[in-house]
Amino acid sequence: MSGARTARPAPTSPLLWVCAASAAAFLLHAAQVPVWITLTALGLVGWRLAAALGTVRLPGGIVRVALGLALIAAVLAHYHTLNGLAPGTAMLMLMAAIKVLETHSRRDQYVVLGGALFLLLAACLDGQQLARVPLYAAEALLCCSALAVVAYAPESGERTFPPPAGLRTREVITLAGRTLLYAIPLAIPLFLFFPRLTGHFWTVAPDDEAVTGLGDTLTPGGITRLTASYDIAFRARFEGRPPPPNELYWRGPVLHEFDGATWSAGQYSPGEAQLLECLSRPYHYRLYLEPTFRHWWLALDTVMGPPNAGVRYTDDYELIAPQPVSRSLSYDAASCAHTQSLARLSSTARLEDTELPRGRNLRSAAMALQLRRRAGSDIAFVQAVLAFLRSGGFTYSITPPPLGPDPVDDFLFDTRSGFCGHYASAFVDLMRAAGVPARVVTGYLGGQWNPYDATLVIRQSDAHAWAEVWLADRGWTRVDPTAVVAPERLYRGILDLLPDAVSAPARLVHAWPWLGAALERWDAANGWWNERFVSFNERTQLDLLRTLGIRSPDLRDAGWAFAAALLAWLGWVSWQVGGGNGAPRADRLGRAYTRLCRKLAQVGLPREPHQGPLAYAQVVIQHRPDLASRVRPLLEDYAALRFGPARDHADIKAFEHTVARLSIRRPSARRGID
Amino acid sequence: MAGPARLRERLRQRAAEWARRRQGPDRLPLVLGRRRLYILPTRAGLGFGALVLTMLVAGLNYTNSLALLFAFLLVGFALVAMHECHRNLLGVSLLEAAAAPLFAGSTGTLRLTLENASRVPRYRIEAAVSAELPRTLDLSAGGRGQIEVPIRANRRGLQRIERLRLSSSHPFGLFRVWTWIHAPIAVIVYPRATGSLPLPAGRGAQSGTWPRATAGADEWLGLRPFRDGDSPRQVAWKAYAREAPLLVKEYSSTGSPLRLLSLRDTRQPDIESRLAQLARWVVDAEAGGDLYGLELPGESIPAQRGPDHRHRCLSALALYGS
Repeated sequence: MSGARTARPAPTSPLLWVCAASAAAFLLHAAQVPVWITLTALGLVGWRLAAALGTVRLPGGIVRVALGLALIAAVLAHYHTLNGLAPGTAMLMLMAAIKVLETHSRRDQYVVLGGALFLLLAACLDGQQLARVPLYAAEALLCCSALAVVAYAPESGERTFPPPAGLRTREVITLAGRTLLYAIPLAIPLFLFFPRLTGHFWTVAPDDEAVTGLGDTLTPGGITRLTASYDIAFRARFEGRPPPPNELYWRGPVLHEFDGATWSAGQYSPGEAQLLECLSRPYHYRLYLEPTFRHWWLALDTVMGPPNAGVRYTDDYELIAPQPVSRSLSYDAASCAHTQSLARLSSTARLEDTELPRGRNLRSAAMALQLRRRAGSDIAFVQAVLAFLRSGGFTYSITPPPLGPDPVDDFLFDTRSGFCGHYASAFVDLMRAAGVPARVVTGYLGGQWNPYDATLVIRQSDAHAWAEVWLADRGWTRVDPTAVVAPERLYRGILDLLPDAVSAPARLVHAWPWLGAALERWDAANGWWNERFVSFNERTQLDLLRTLGIRSPDLRDAGWAFAAALLAWLGWVSWQVGGGNGAPRADRLGRAYTRLCRKLAQVGLPREPHQGPLAYAQVVIQHRPDLASRVRPLLEDYAALRFGPARDHADIKAFEHTVARLSIRRPSARRGID
Repeated sequence: MAGPARLRERLRQRAAEWARRRQGPDRLPLVLGRRRLYILPTRAGLGFGALVLTMLVAGLNYTNSLALLFAFLLVGFALVAMHECHRNLLGVSLLEAAAAPLFAGSTGTLRLTLENASRVPRYRIEAAVSAELPRTLDLSAGGRGQIEVPIRANRRGLQRIERLRLSSSHPFGLFRVWTWIHAPIAVIVYPRATGSLPLPAGRGAQSGTWPRATAGADEWLGLRPFRDGDSPRQVAWKAYAREAPLLVKEYSSTGSPLRLLSLRDTRQPDIESRLAQLARWVVDAEAGGDLYGLELPGESIPAQRGPDHRHRCLSALALYGS
């Protein structure tokens, strides 16, 4: 009796797979949810496994309910809501972990695996980066393998005799992996042709996420946070030659209001853009923006119009989208390096852009007034301020000394060391102090050429701030005071100027060029992924159909293509999967043997199914002694090739050849076989 | 609660009848072809479908390409799984179905011999008769295997196994493929061996010897495993108490008596009880090593002994009146 009990396969094995699949699903979200949630979920799974081994006891129903309520309360306390992706994911993780704790039957195991696949969906919604795809694929494989193990294992309480042998790990993974591989040729055409929606089933709440990127405000030293990041901000592909480095100013938010320490967009509500005259040949390019979770879209300074009708084009020449950028997107834009405003500055705008906090930075204000009086014109005044910066002993530094309550005064007359934020801020302050309308523009400067996909890659470390002043005959004019202090900044990345300022990976890349090349390839792959895959939508789908030769494609054409792909694949799969079904197909040797037997059967000597080759040879010779010299060696050869030690391929070929040449005549009618 | 269950049972019955009309009668050995295989998603498969649908809708709503890709990948996965599940039963042959005779009211086994002539192994083939719990079997490539399905017998006679169900939800449990087999499989069900009357007195093997009152008073032969129908009086209870399996004491039957078991000697009111009494006597007489013959109206089996004789007598009782 005890023998029968031990012969049964250990009941933990499907449980182990189910636990592994859920633990892996929890780990997919480890970066998104607080650490304690991941640890709690993993701990509950560990508890279940320990209970299966008999080291601890499982909690009772009351404990489980209490645990569930406590965890819901904890998630609520952390997020203050259960709505949204991150709190939802956290809840799902904890509930799935509690479900693991009470997993006993096969049905429970299926439910847990469903939870793991749901967490995979949540992970897809969380991020679609190329680097994550292998992890997601591994999780899908793990879940499918676990399905196979659960389906194979006998249901608890089920009595099977003989007990199932069990599937080995390799068999399980092969089974699930092969099934998934067969599914890929369906998944790709389905992805390409499944009719896409133009709207939403339900509104998508914008997700507020902290990502590295330009903010809505600027403190003079604030940009240093970005230079430490090696993340890609966006990429751009130009039609024709890209602009020279000194024209690669990428325009982000424009800041109007200064409280003495921080610049912000202010109360100023931007109106519609006023007419611009393009003074140089415009650049046409496509920009691939990474998620910023902000409303503005970046563009090369100065963009000539909105990329599509939904995006506002403001009189700051900013592009403002109705939805925050929560996923990679791309758009076409045209920009002009040299422009001229045709309209006048409105009085409210002039008021806004000359305002300064009262009673602050008095020394610099006095100097500004003095310089303006001496200069005679606004342009000359700008030149004079730039000359002051150039010759005043200013240095470019990422770690300037801290500034006091009058930061501009401290910077200009005391520390004289700063970063682009300091220079732009001080410059605009001086302009405004003299009554010249000026504003701070934040964005990015430069970019790195990636030869593998012919794009310009702009990283967070390229973040920059500069100034714009209103000149009566030219309108808003870009002035970059940093370029005066550190002209190299225009031509070389921040890396070359301030090696200590930047992140470790950036320094590594700088030190080892081959690593840089590898990263460029990786960036190119990511770019392709984001451009072609992540931002695939109904528009790109119609483009694809157009490329395939359908003149004016619509949803119905996509549906037809979808159905055709599905049918073709179904045929292929039933052929593939059903292929191994018939009786075993003979190998080459077997085919030659069959042919020999057929030849003998034609002269009235059929082989009985129970006869082996040697027994058959005896029967043949018994009836036809004249064939002994030709047929016996062949049959003996076959027996040796088939059942003897492994032979050369040439031997099989020789056998085939001899069989093919063999011709057997029927015996004369009188000499029948008896 | 009972409503949906009854509805499901009725639907199942209708489907089975439809399949029977459609397939016609079967003869063994038979190869499971495409025309007789049916496949439907399981409950887990329906859940999986709902999950994939959620993924699809979420992917469309959030224009999330990766969620859509995984949704389509899982759609493909389920469709391939359906083919694999179907293939798991396709081409399997049922060579033989045989059941040893059993007594009414007991549980016997129907032994099925299955063969897999293909190059791919088959896993978790389940076989069931009516509502009994299924038994499962794996078949290696080109392999053959036996599976023992429990069957219950309630009434004596020739019990036909109207419908045999082979099914499988391998590999992922998302689909279940099944077939109904309506082959002429029959099992003889002996009457219940019950009744309290003592064995009728026999004549001695050699005429003149006075018969002994009870069987088994001869010289001790040894122990043999318990068989259905053995009298509890012959069980070696002492050995059983020492955790040995159920054993029966056997005695030689030198000079065994010759007993004529006749329906006339039974005194029960109804025929079934009388047949049961006869079956009891047959079992006891065989166990006692006696020579015994059976006399039924219209049928008479001369005295003999041995398992074949026992089967002959019990079969006659089983089929009496049919």
